[in-house]
Formats: sequence, C-alpha cells, structure tokens
Amino acid sequence: MAHDDRKRRFELLALPHLDAAFNLARWLAGNSADAEDVVQDAYLRAYRYFDSFHGGEFRVWLLSIVRNCFLDWVKDNRSGRLLFQPEPAGEADDMLWSERPRDPESLLLDSIDSQTLEQLMLRLPIEYREVLLLREVEDLSYKEIAVIVNTPLGTTMSRLARARLALRKLWLDAHPSEPAHGL
Amino acid sequence: MACDRSATLPALLADGAFRQPRRFLAERHVGRCPDCAMALDERHAAKTMLRTKLPFHRAPPGLAARIGAALPRETPPVVARRRGLSQTFAGGLASGTIGALAGVAATLLAVLPLGAPDAAVQGAIDSHIRSLMADHLTDVATSDQHTVKPWLSARLDVSPPVRDMADLGFPLVGGRLDYVAGHKGAAVVYRHAKHVINVFAWAAPGSDTGFAERAHQGFNVVSWRRGGIAYCAVSDLEPDQLAAFARLASGPAS
Repeated sequence: MAHDDRKRRFELLALPHLDAAFNLARWLAGNSADAEDVVQDAYLRAYRYFDSFHGGEFRVWLLSIVRNCFLDWVKDNRSGRLLFQPEPAGEADDMLWSERPRDPESLLLDSIDSQTLEQLMLRLPIEYREVLLLREVEDLSYKEIAVIVNTPLGTTMSRLARARLALRKLWLDAHPSEPAHGL
Repeated sequence: MACDRSATLPALLADGAFRQPRRFLAERHVGRCPDCAMALDERHAAKTMLRTKLPFHRAPPGLAARIGAALPRETPPVVARRRGLSQTFAGGLASGTIGALAGVAATLLAVLPLGAPDAAVQGAIDSHIRSLMADHLTDVATSDQHTVKPWLSARLDVSPPVRDMADLGFPLVGGRLDYVAGHKGAAVVYRHAKHVINVFAWAAPGSDTGFAERAHQGFNVVSWRRGGIAYCAVSDLEPDQLAAFARLASGPAS
C-alpha cells in the first residue's frame, strides 16, 4: 500500500533523529514532559508535510519543525514566557566580533561541572541556547543553523558569538572570586 | 597588541566555516600568529568542554512507539508495522553483530600470532581486521560528517573529529561503535583509493601527545592523544601516507 511505503520511508528517515529532536525540545522546553509533547507533535507534522521534503539534510528539516512546534506550543499554553526577543537594535555585528575575550576560555570552563553548566545554559536567553546547542552538540554548520532558527546567516553567526560571550559572562558572574586569568 | 583577526578567524576555523583554499590560508595564518593560535586552542577547549559536559537528553524509551502508533490512521495493525521496523533496525544490527563476532573468532584463531606490542595498538589492529573480515565497516554509512559525528556523540562519551576530507584524497565512509582493547569507542572510517583507514577513538584522560608510528602484522598504526581522547589510525597505507593522514584527521576542528 502506498500509505505503508510512505510511512516506512518516513520512519527510516525520521526515527534515527529522535534523540536529536528530543534533546533540542528538552533544552527549549526545560522539562521532559513538555519536550515529549513537542516532539510527538513535530513528528506528526513532519509526516504530514513529508512530501515537501526535497532532499538535503533531513535532520535540519526535522529540527526546524521541532522548533516551530515548540513556538506553537508556547503560544497555545500561554506560558507568559518571553521568547525570542528581537536582536538588540543598533548593535552592529562586527562590534560583537571585536569583543575579544580576555580570559582563556579553556581555563575558565575547565573546572565547571555538568550540573552548573546546565543551570547556566538554562539561564541563557532561549535564542542563545538553541544556537549553542545546534552548533556545539549537533555540529551543524552556520548555514544549517540559520535555516533552523529562520534567521539570516550573518545574524545567526553574530548571535552565536554573542551566545558564547553570554555563557562566559554568566559563569564569571557566578564565580566572581575565581578569576580565570592567573590560574 | 592582539591580532585583529583573533576575534573572528579562530572561531570560524573551529566551526569549520572555511572551505579550501580559504581554510588552508586561515590555518597558515594561525600557524604564524600566536594570538590566533591561542584563541583557537581556547575555542577547541571550550567546544570540547560543552560537548563532554552538556547533558544530552535522549528520547524516553516509549516515545518512538507512541509516535509510530500516532502517525497515520489509515495504516495496518500496529504489530505488522513494528515488526517491519524492528527488522530494519534491530534485525540489521543483530545480524551484523553476529557476523562480526564470528569473524573475530575465526580471525583471531587463524591469523594473529601471539605477543602484542601494546594492548591499544593490538586492539586497534584486531578491530581493523574484524571490520574488514566481517564486512561490518560502518553502522552509519555516509560521507556526511554532519551525520556521522552526532550519531557517534549521541552514543558515546567521546566526540572525535569527523571530517570528510575527500578534497584531500581521504573521503569519509562512515562511523561505527567499536571496542578497542576493552575501551568502548568510536571508529571513524575513511578511504584512500582502495585502502580502508579506521580511526579508533576512546576516552583517555591525560595530556596531549605527539604522533607515534608503528608497524605490526602488515598494518601501519599511528596513535596520538588529544583533548582527553586516545586515537589510533590503522591501515595498510604506506607509513608516510598514514602519518600525513593522521595529522589531517586530528585537527584542527576537534
């Protein structure tokens, strides 16, 4: 049956990325129960629009649907969370790039434990959190990340740079007595 | 005064944003510029830290089945569908594993002489032979580094560099999970002409080392340690070719 074929093809393509989808949803939603709802919704939606997938990296296509489902989920649940604030106006991209960290990141982050790191990540604005995850954990290219977060390439790149600085800053603020330099 | 490229160039390089020949030019600059070299080291360290310490939330066990059951209504009974699925995934894996084990037994008994030079090197050679004999070269067969790497990272506590180096004559073939001398680790598979190269990687805390080259049982082996991961590249390539390959495979995008 045609339906069987379609479903089977979909499962072959989509199920291997279930962990990636769940991880992203879990980081966005902040808890497992909501992440499950988001992922399940995303898979159903992906299946519905499966015919509009025309090759390319399936994971990128799927993750962008996960993200959209998360946005819809937030809207439906009226959680009151403020999400995806617009980029700060007037903040030139190259200004950010030129802000060269003065402390070696390696030393700075060496002593951090997983739990603290997770806390810091969850305190980051969600648009920073997602680009960090997509880049460092999913190992996606700038271009792929830009597709998923539906943002121009240049903005995506500077957002990633900004996210890295923000994570450093959170860590420094949390540990004022442990300046990383001089370690 | 700091190099004005050190704010952007190392990050772009570490993120794999350059294609050849720009990557070559960027790497050459970093090789000559202490500011950029330091910034690149920091970026790699930060990336490694995030990859190793950031919790990866795997999907709960029942989620795949729930999604499958919810998919379309106009489908045959769930049982039939699930049998199809498990044949595809689990069945394929299981028969691969049995094949691999049979291959190991036969290979170890028939071919390998006793007296290992080094447990890790010997283990790597064993795994290399096993991968060729049992025809179980890859669990994930694709030249797309963006598929192989996350696939491995999601299943292991190490995240070795995976790069398609087809432009340098070493196309990526895929990756698989493997055991090397008792370590659970990754095998990243490359090809050079007809030669298969297995790069084994497993967690090995300790400081970075240089490249050690050895020949054993007709295979050449290059091993090194970087960022808390031990690597062993095994192939029947010529020693100097394998040495060159190891240096390419080891970085800078770790």
